[in-house]
Amino acid sequence: MDAYIYLSATPEALIASMLSPEEFGAYLSMGTKKRNRGQAIFFEVDPQQISGLIDGDYIRKRCTAKPDGRPKSSVYLSVYRVLEAIPVSALRSLYLTTDNGYTLELRQAPYGADREQKERLHLYQELLPVTPLVASGLGPPAFLKKLTDGSIPIVLPKLFFVDLKMGELAANPLRGSAEHLPYSNIGHLRDCLEILKTEDQKQMKTVRRYFSGSLLYRTIGLGFFVGSGDNLVFYPYPNMKELESIHYDFFRSI
Amino acid sequence: MLAIWCVLVIAFFGLAYAMLLRRQVMACDKGSAKMQEVWNGIRSGADAYLKRQLRTIIPLILVFTVVLFFSVYVVPPTAESRLRFEGYSDQSLKLIIGAGRAVAFIMGSVFSLMVGQFGMRMAVQANVRVASASGRSFTEALKIAYRAGTVTGMLTDGLGLLGGTLIFIIFGVASPDTLLGFGFGGTLLALFMRVGGGIYTKAADVGADLVGKVEAGLPEDDERNAAVVADLVGDNVGDCAGMAADIFESYEVTIVSTLILGVVLFTQTHELSWIIFPLLVRGIGVLSSIIGTYLVRGGRQGKNHNALKSINKGFYSSAAISVFSFGLISYFYLNDWRSFFSVVAGILLAIVLDEITKRFTDGRFRPVKDIARSSRTGSATLILKGLSYGFEVTVWQTLVIAITIFLSILIYHGQPVVYVLYGVAMTGIGMLTLTGNNVAMDAFGPIADNANGIGELSHLDKDARKIMDSLDATGNTTKAITKGVAIGSAVIAAVALFGSFITDVSKVQIQMGIEQSAQLIETGIRISVPVVFIGLLIGGTIPFLFSSLTINAVTRAASQIVEEVRRQFRIPGIIERKVKPDYQRAVDICTVSAQRELVPLALISVLSPIIIGSLLGVEALGGFLAGVILSGQLLAVFMADAGGAWDNAKKTIEDGLYGGKGSEAHHAAVVGDTVGDPLKDTAGPALNPMIKVINLVSLLAAPVIMTFRKPGHLSAGLVITGVICLVLVIGAIAYSKRSSETKPVREI
Repeated sequence: MDAYIYLSATPEALIASMLSPEEFGAYLSMGTKKRNRGQAIFFEVDPQQISGLIDGDYIRKRCTAKPDGRPKSSVYLSVYRVLEAIPVSALRSLYLTTDNGYTLELRQAPYGADREQKERLHLYQELLPVTPLVASGLGPPAFLKKLTDGSIPIVLPKLFFVDLKMGELAANPLRGSAEHLPYSNIGHLRDCLEILKTEDQKQMKTVRRYFSGSLLYRTIGLGFFVGSGDNLVFYPYPNMKELESIHYDFFRSI
Repeated sequence: MLAIWCVLVIAFFGLAYAMLLRRQVMACDKGSAKMQEVWNGIRSGADAYLKRQLRTIIPLILVFTVVLFFSVYVVPPTAESRLRFEGYSDQSLKLIIGAGRAVAFIMGSVFSLMVGQFGMRMAVQANVRVASASGRSFTEALKIAYRAGTVTGMLTDGLGLLGGTLIFIIFGVASPDTLLGFGFGGTLLALFMRVGGGIYTKAADVGADLVGKVEAGLPEDDERNAAVVADLVGDNVGDCAGMAADIFESYEVTIVSTLILGVVLFTQTHELSWIIFPLLVRGIGVLSSIIGTYLVRGGRQGKNHNALKSINKGFYSSAAISVFSFGLISYFYLNDWRSFFSVVAGILLAIVLDEITKRFTDGRFRPVKDIARSSRTGSATLILKGLSYGFEVTVWQTLVIAITIFLSILIYHGQPVVYVLYGVAMTGIGMLTLTGNNVAMDAFGPIADNANGIGELSHLDKDARKIMDSLDATGNTTKAITKGVAIGSAVIAAVALFGSFITDVSKVQIQMGIEQSAQLIETGIRISVPVVFIGLLIGGTIPFLFSSLTINAVTRAASQIVEEVRRQFRIPGIIERKVKPDYQRAVDICTVSAQRELVPLALISVLSPIIIGSLLGVEALGGFLAGVILSGQLLAVFMADAGGAWDNAKKTIEDGLYGGKGSEAHHAAVVGDTVGDPLKDTAGPALNPMIKVINLVSLLAAPVIMTFRKPGHLSAGLVITGVICLVLVIGAIAYSKRSSETKPVREI
């Protein structure tokens, strides 16, 4: 099969395409006649590992070049509870595309606990299957486990989320400088963080109920996480210096 | 006279240096076929603009040449002209002075055109070579960009000095009669190039950004944006041709006003040094600029990536050489330090104005940080903050200029007012001593910007684009710095011209036999006289009218560009990069729009002083001039600096503050920048030549008005002239204010 299979997070969908990840990112973010616009976040999926989930004949039939020779951009295969159905092991690289079409590939890497700083709070933007912005005292593995292992009434089959930068607020919610943080309603964020600091039982606090707009790529902290229970896959995000020196086009457009 | 001949040789030397640099730049490699393909688009767009501009301007030059030639038949030549051409009959004298004034006007116009057009062509030739060189080394790219800018700088220096010196060699003490023609020619052309350039560049920029960046989310200089080439051409048209012509006319006008005042002092003291010293200062400026600009390099093996440091090194070297040389001349030639102090005050003024501009518009300082911070609460607060700082910086800049003029009063303490006015004019000479460096720094901006655009459009590799990004950022800073100098020097030049107005009017009053106590030099401009106050009020409104019309013109042209780019986005294949947009359409829209606005705006500048002088008299015309200078200066500084501060607030956010591109803060900052763009690049800069055109027309018209308008009597001829001019101005305003509704593109 010549088609690539992508799991899009914006919005959730499983898509077959003849386009390479970079081309697919540009297609998703800019469309063909500028009627659609916006950043794109998607995984490349190993088709072999999900062969039982998709109809190969349908893809072969639909995902073919157009009469003028142009490749088929997208064939939607599924748009509901997609992440839940895809095994984490089938996920390859994660791609981030800016709203003007530049794509950054993030590869999986082992997540070491040494990445976390003690006594610091976190801010997580959940991306799939639900999209609240959540402040938490838990590190990424613990946060994922908490929401997916069934130990609390709110349980998710899998979760895809990103760790966001919090600057000084991570350690000092009330007095830390929020000077350069782009989040709206900083006062509310401080209140949420302060509750986490002062109430021992409280481990998570919703800051905003749903994700609207786009993810500011400059605010990404450690990186992206996906998985369930103890099965965590980590996609580290380069720091700004690395982005500038290695991924210059992407850096310039964020 | 030996000194004067030396100055003439230096002027030619400056021009030869420009030609040498041009040859060096032209010998450089033009890069790949793809780069040249992009570059050809820019070059043909620039050519189209320049040709169309010539077609619009040449008829006006011819009309004014005729008017200036016959002006001596209305107002006879001055006593100094009779002295210089003693023995000639009255008719021959009129012919000589009339022809001299007409030829000087053509010379001023042609020189101004040459500076703008040659400079712009040089910039266009250089940008592809800089893009190509950036693939090899930073040093080479910097050297080509700066040397190409220096070609324009040295043309400005050389031609400005050549014109003034030639006129003085030929006409001697009679030169004020012809210098006005030279100054008027340069200033009028600068007005055309500034206004046309300003409208073009911002129509293209705002139009390209509104659809490309804001609506479609394309990056800067994206090949799919149909206005991208127009935007690149616009950088040359506005920042290279417009700015160079603007500085050239300030350079020219300061020498004109200094020589006019110098001749007055010469007739009183019989010391030729009042005339020679300013020319010598200019000559030294040319030499020190040659040395300073040649010192600009990027370090060994291209390792030094701090272009601004290299450029500043060249600038301060030139400044040091100049001051030292002025001291030597003052000591050995003048035996008088007063002019030296005036010139040094001018250099200091340029440095202080530059520093104030930097404090209020540079992202490292509090005002821009505050403006950026206010973006977190939306575009309204960001705009309010920018307005607040724009108003504040205007206060400081104006106070500094006032202090500098006060320094002239101190330097010439106890002397008649004409000495003080001469001191102010010498301050202007000092300010523009380093014009070669200043124009080089300014022209460097669009060259680096265009090179970056070519790099982007031809998909140059990452390292080359990093070099071009770095040069582009430096170019933005150098452009902002020279803008401050241009405005400051325009004000000083206008004040010096105001001084020339008073002395020239007084000369005619003497010829008319008006008693000394009633002469303008004795009475001054009395704003307590109601008609003078009316003149002052109306003068104060002219810059507002001019700004309103230029901003309206940008909005109108930008709307057309928006429609065109949107139309092209709908063409299948453009977004997928499979079909190339029709860049030429956007170039044509900008070219036509910019030229269409020139004539009405020029008419307003030329006719408004004639209306006031004809209907209210010469003293009211003086009040009118004061009003124009004051409100023009305040508005120009306000618009340039507020616009610059919004621009840099946006840049700091794009560099990562408050979430960077795409954040709410960035959206607010883009709104601020879009509002500020036509202020800082169209309306504000256009005020500089406008102020001086009005000053020079007043200088030329005042003797005519006085000849026909006896004190206390209205002349029917003047009233009719005034009314006709008024009708023309109303017509020009109506034309400029015509509907902003977008016309279908196919009509162009």
